[in-house]
Amino acid sequence: MAAPVHTEATPAAIEMDPVEYTLRKRLPRKLPKRRNDVYVNMKTDFRAQLARCQKLLEGGGHREICVHGLGLAINRAINIALQLQASSQGALQLAANTSTVELVDDLEPDDPDEAREPMTRTRNNSAIHIKVFYPDPQ
Amino acid sequence: MEPFRGRKIPTLLKNVSTRHSRHCSNGGITAVNSVSSPLKLLPVPPPALKLGQEGFKKVCRTEEDSPCPFPGLASGVLEMRVKEGSKIRNLMGFAMARMQGEMGVSDGGLRQVVFTGSGRAVTKTITCVEIMKRKVGSLHQLTKLQYKVVKEVWESTEGGTSEMTVHRTVPSISILLSKDPLDPQEPGYQPPETLSALWEEREGSESSSQTACKRPLGPLPYSSFPNCKRPCLGERISVHPPH
Repeated sequence: MAAPVHTEATPAAIEMDPVEYTLRKRLPRKLPKRRNDVYVNMKTDFRAQLARCQKLLEGGGHREICVHGLGLAINRAINIALQLQASSQGALQLAANTSTVELVDDLEPDDPDEAREPMTRTRNNSAIHIKVFYPDPQ
Repeated sequence: MEPFRGRKIPTLLKNVSTRHSRHCSNGGITAVNSVSSPLKLLPVPPPALKLGQEGFKKVCRTEEDSPCPFPGLASGVLEMRVKEGSKIRNLMGFAMARMQGEMGVSDGGLRQVVFTGSGRAVTKTITCVEIMKRKVGSLHQLTKLQYKVVKEVWESTEGGTSEMTVHRTVPSISILLSKDPLDPQEPGYQPPETLSALWEEREGSESSSQTACKRPLGPLPYSSFPNCKRPCLGERISVHPPH
């Protein structure tokens, strides 16, 4: 979608000559940035991310938070949500939704002499969005 | 150290263990060190953390039965159990054929399918569901998360007779896809065709909470995802994090 110009040459070039390009991954787009959104990653310490969620729910006064995980971090997002639920003695509920996130990779030619132009490629990755919330007393 | 990170088992060891697991019987195993109960978590780090280095190999891995996350479900529903090594094309080839109905059959295939996966297979499970939603269309979805208990039997490689049984808890996911409407009040329900709407839709839905928090949000919360290249840490040891 982002590189309409190169559609014909792209598949062959990638398959035959992958060494010539540097693969750069762009950031995912379209992110809701509310205070109670937590984006889980695989670089930050697990306990720090869990503590952050606990803080939001207990100290931050939020009735619900949204834990997001993309790709590999799905597992960790689920783990955090289940830990929060387990440590709340059943007071918290989980509502998980899944989605597909479109990611864009840039292919930059390593050798500037060659008449190759930068290309982009899109791929899909799975994501999870877990709402962790105190159910309304009814 | 992160408390939930399972030790990565070398590939060689894994191959050995899968070969042996065929001969593994559940009876007759003397558990030298048996650790149980998933959520009343362990007082000490479980022995599995160092089993590989201490001359143990995994001989058996069984998932214990956990309650079905969809109580009202008919018994005959197709359940796709996604494993770490399952090929998506195999899973989808089978599941799509059943959902769309075989050639010549007029009933149009099954109405519902359940995908389940645990540990490192969770991502693959979601991917399968996402593919099916895109291909079939108009599917109602119900997602449930729970911990699953996996029992592993480890055996000493140094000729000794000692064996060890370890209970691990791994996160697992179960997703019900249905052509018929499901209860929208159920937590984890997702109506059809929310594929792209999910991100935008959530954006404005809770503006009131914006004022409640003191801390400013850092730039680009997803910023570390794209370069993430660390090995998958799917299965986790059941240690409770300190509070």
